[in-house]
Amino acid sequence: MPFTLLKSDKPIPEREKHTYIKAASENLLPRCNVQTTPGDFTERGCTYAGCMGVVCGPIKDVIHLVHGPIGCAYWTWGGGTRQNLSDNPGFHRKYCFSTDMQEDNVIFGGEDKLYKSILEAHEEFPEAKGVFVHATCTIGLIGDDLNGVCKRAEQEIGIRVVPFNCEGFRGCSQSLGHHIANDTLFERVVGTKEPEYTTDYDMNIIGDYNIQGDLWVIKPLFERMGIRILCTFTGNASVDEIAQAHRAKLNLMHCQRSTPYICRLMEKKYGIPVLRASLFGIEQTSKALREVAAFFGLEDKAEEIIEEEESKVAPEIEEYRKKFDGKRVFIYQGAPRAWHWIPMFRELGIETIAAATTFGHEDDYAKICARVNDGVLVLDNPNALELEEILSELKPDLFVSGLKEKYLSYKLGVPFINGHSYENGPYAAYSGFLNFVSDIEKAMFAPVWGLIRREGHA
Amino acid sequence: MRSVTINPARMCQPIGAMYALFGVHAAVSLVHGSQGCAAYPMRMFNRHFRELVQVAVSSLGEDASVFGGKKNLTTAIKNVIARRHPELIGVITTCLSETIGDDIDGIIREGKYECKVVPIHTPSYVGSHVTGYDNALCSLVSHLSKEPDAVDERINIVPGMVNPGDIMEIKQMLDSMNVSYTILSDISETLNAPLMLPKPPFPEGGTSVDEIEDCANACGVISLCEHAGGSAAVFLKGKYGMAADTICPIGVENTDRFLAAVCDMTGGGIPNSLEKERGRLIDAMVDVHMKTYGKRAAIFADPDIALALAEFVTELGMDVVIISSSTASRKFLQKAKSVTDGGEILNGRDLYELHRAVKDREVDILFGNTKCKPIAKDEGVAFVRCGFPVYDRVGYHRYGIMGYHGGVYLTDMIMNAILEWEERE
Repeated sequence: MPFTLLKSDKPIPEREKHTYIKAASENLLPRCNVQTTPGDFTERGCTYAGCMGVVCGPIKDVIHLVHGPIGCAYWTWGGGTRQNLSDNPGFHRKYCFSTDMQEDNVIFGGEDKLYKSILEAHEEFPEAKGVFVHATCTIGLIGDDLNGVCKRAEQEIGIRVVPFNCEGFRGCSQSLGHHIANDTLFERVVGTKEPEYTTDYDMNIIGDYNIQGDLWVIKPLFERMGIRILCTFTGNASVDEIAQAHRAKLNLMHCQRSTPYICRLMEKKYGIPVLRASLFGIEQTSKALREVAAFFGLEDKAEEIIEEEESKVAPEIEEYRKKFDGKRVFIYQGAPRAWHWIPMFRELGIETIAAATTFGHEDDYAKICARVNDGVLVLDNPNALELEEILSELKPDLFVSGLKEKYLSYKLGVPFINGHSYENGPYAAYSGFLNFVSDIEKAMFAPVWGLIRREGHA
Repeated sequence: MRSVTINPARMCQPIGAMYALFGVHAAVSLVHGSQGCAAYPMRMFNRHFRELVQVAVSSLGEDASVFGGKKNLTTAIKNVIARRHPELIGVITTCLSETIGDDIDGIIREGKYECKVVPIHTPSYVGSHVTGYDNALCSLVSHLSKEPDAVDERINIVPGMVNPGDIMEIKQMLDSMNVSYTILSDISETLNAPLMLPKPPFPEGGTSVDEIEDCANACGVISLCEHAGGSAAVFLKGKYGMAADTICPIGVENTDRFLAAVCDMTGGGIPNSLEKERGRLIDAMVDVHMKTYGKRAAIFADPDIALALAEFVTELGMDVVIISSSTASRKFLQKAKSVTDGGEILNGRDLYELHRAVKDREVDILFGNTKCKPIAKDEGVAFVRCGFPVYDRVGYHRYGIMGYHGGVYLTDMIMNAILEWEERE
C-alpha cells in the first residue's frame, strides 16, 4: 500500500491520498495543492499571507498598506513572526499601515478611505519609494475598484502605487499569494528602471527573504567571485532593485515554490536563464557556486572561495557529524526547505524519517521523493492531529517546523528547531550552516529533555 | 483625524473570542473564514504564552465565498467532533463569513451534534479583540447557562483578557476568603501548562461546560474588565437578577473595592492573611515612592486595564499625562477624564498617535505591550511591559499584576524599569 491512512484520519479518509510512504518501485506522489479538509486543524495560512507576508513584506522601502479590517495588518506588522531582516530598520518592519475598514466602509465601500489613506501615508513618509496596497478578504467581496483607486492615487502623489489582489479566500493556501505577488511585481515593477550601468556579471538572487540575514552570508560569496548582485528578490530589496532586475544575465532561484513564476516571466520576456540552487549545507552550497561560476566563466575564482570556505567549517562540521550520526529528523516546512534540507541533514549523519510541506506542488514532492529513502513518510498539508500522531509514533530525534508547531513538539518532549524564522540564524551557506548545526546540537542535547517525567514515575 | 491607521493599537475580534475559548476545558475554537484568520492569531498566542494552541478553521475558499459557507461549516464541525471529541465548539465568524452573510446560528441549530456548539459573532470590521472576547463570553453564558435551581454563595468572576498569573492571584485571594467561585473563563492552567508525559488530549484545567451551565446558581458576578466580559455579567444580571459589579483589581484601592464587593455578595470577611498582603504592597510602595513620585506616566492598554493602571500609578504618586486605550469607547472616555488630571486621552487611537503624544508630553515612563517598545526606545523613556501581546521577554503571562500580591510584583517591575532607565547612559 503506497498510500496510508493515519489513525487520526479515520473520519477523514480523503487524507489517505495526501499520505504517501515512499517506495522506489513506484512512481507516485501525494495529492497536493488542493483545498484543505474543513476543520482538520490545518497549519496552512491564506493567500494574503503568501503575497504580503512572504513575498512583498521584505521589500524595505515602500509603504505596505493593508486594505481591510485591522487584524490582517496587525498580523504582518514587522514581518509578523518572519525574520526577514533589512538594512532599513528605521522604517521597514517598524511601521504598519492599514485602512482599518469599519462596518460602514464594508456597506458603502472603502474606496474613499483607501484613496485618502494612500495620500496620508505618503504625506507622513514622503521618503518611501512607493505604496503597495494589499487587499484582504472583505475587499474582494464588496468589490472596491482597487486598481482604479491606486491609479488615481499614483497620479496624485507621483510615486508608484501598486495594487495586489491577494484576498485571503483565493486559492487553497499561501501558494497562490506567492503567484499573485510574482505576477504583479513583474507587470508593475520589473523593467521600469534601467540600472546606471550593466556588467557581464550581473545576477539576481530570486526567492531568498533574508531570514535572520541569510542573504548577508550568501551575497558576499558571489561578490567575491566577481559577480554583481543586481537584485535580491525580495530579501532586503529596494523597489528600485526589483525595477532594474530585468538587466541581469542570470536568475539564481533559491525558494523554488514562491518564485518560479517571476523567473519564468523574466526568461520569456527578457531571455534571462534560470539556475535552481540549494544554498544549505556545504555540498549544496559548493555545487551552487560551481554552477554559477560555470555560467559566468569564473571557475578558478569559485574554486578558491570554495576551498577557503569549506576548510573553515569542515573540521567543525565533522565533529558534529560524529555526534549526530544515526539521529532521525522529521522535516515539515512550507515546501522547498523540506527537500533542500534532506541532503543537508544527510551530510550531518541525520536521516529524514518523515517529510511534509504546507503548500508544496507536485514538483516539490517529486524532489522530496527523489531524495528520501524507501519507507519514509511523505505528507501533504499535515494537520495538528497528524503531526501529533507522527511525533508520538515515530519519535524523531528532531522536528524542524514553524512556530505554530513548536509547542506541540515541546509538549511531546521532542527537540525542535524553527526552520521558518530560525533560532539563532542565519542558516544559509557555509557560516550559516555552522549556526544551524550548533542549533541542532542545542536542540537535541539540552539536558532538560532528560528531566521530563512520565506518568507513573514516582 | 487621519484615515490611515499607522501602527494599530488593536487586533480584530476573532483573536479575542479564541482567548475566551482557551479558558474552557476541552473546547475547540472553530474559525469560520479564511485559513489566515486561524493561523495568524495562533502565532500571536504562541509568542505571548509560549504554549501550544490549536484552532480549527472551515477553510473558506473562493467557491464558498460565492455560494455560501454552509457546507464547509457543517463538515468542519463534524470533523472536529469525530477527531477531537471536544466538549464544546465555539464557531467564530470573521469579516469573510459575516460579509457573505452565512446564517451560522441557523446552521448550528439545524445540526444535531454530540457536543455543545455555540455561535460567536466576531466580524473583524467592528470593535477589536476586546469586543471579540466580550462577544464570546456573552455567547457562552447566554447559550449554555441554565435556569437557577439552587442558588448558593458562589460567585462568578469574568476575568477578561488578562494573564494566567492574574487569574491565579484572584483565585488565591478568593481561596483565602473561603469563597467558592467559577472563573468564566479560566486560562490559568490551559495557557500555562506543565510539560509532563503523556501529553493530555486537551490541557488540564479551564472552566468546564458544566460549570458554565450552572453559573446562574451563583449569587453574584464580577467582571474584572467591563469591556471584555462585562456583557456576560449584564446578561446574568438581566436574565437571572444576579448581583453584578465590575472592578479591575489593579492597585490598592481597586483591590480593596474588589474584596469589599466579594464580601458584599457572599457575606464573607477579609482574612488576616489578605490584610498582611495589603500591608506588603503598601510596604513595597513606601520603599519606592521617592523614585515614583512625580514621574510622568503614559499608559497604553485595553480600556479597563489602562484605567486601573492609571489609578495605581496615581497611588504611586505619578502623574498620568497620557492614557491610551486599544479600543475606542464612550465609557473609557468618561472614566479616563476622572482618572487623569488634564492628561491627554487617546480613545482607540493608533500607536503612531501615541508616539506623537509621548514625544510632546515629556513622558518619563511608558506602560504598554511589546508593540510599544520602539516608542520607549526612540524617546528614551522607562518602559514597563504589560497587556497582550508581550513577546520580547519571557514569563510575563506567568505573573499577575492584579490583587495586592500582584501589585507588589508590578511595583517592583515599575521601580526596576525606572532604575534601568536612570542607568541608561
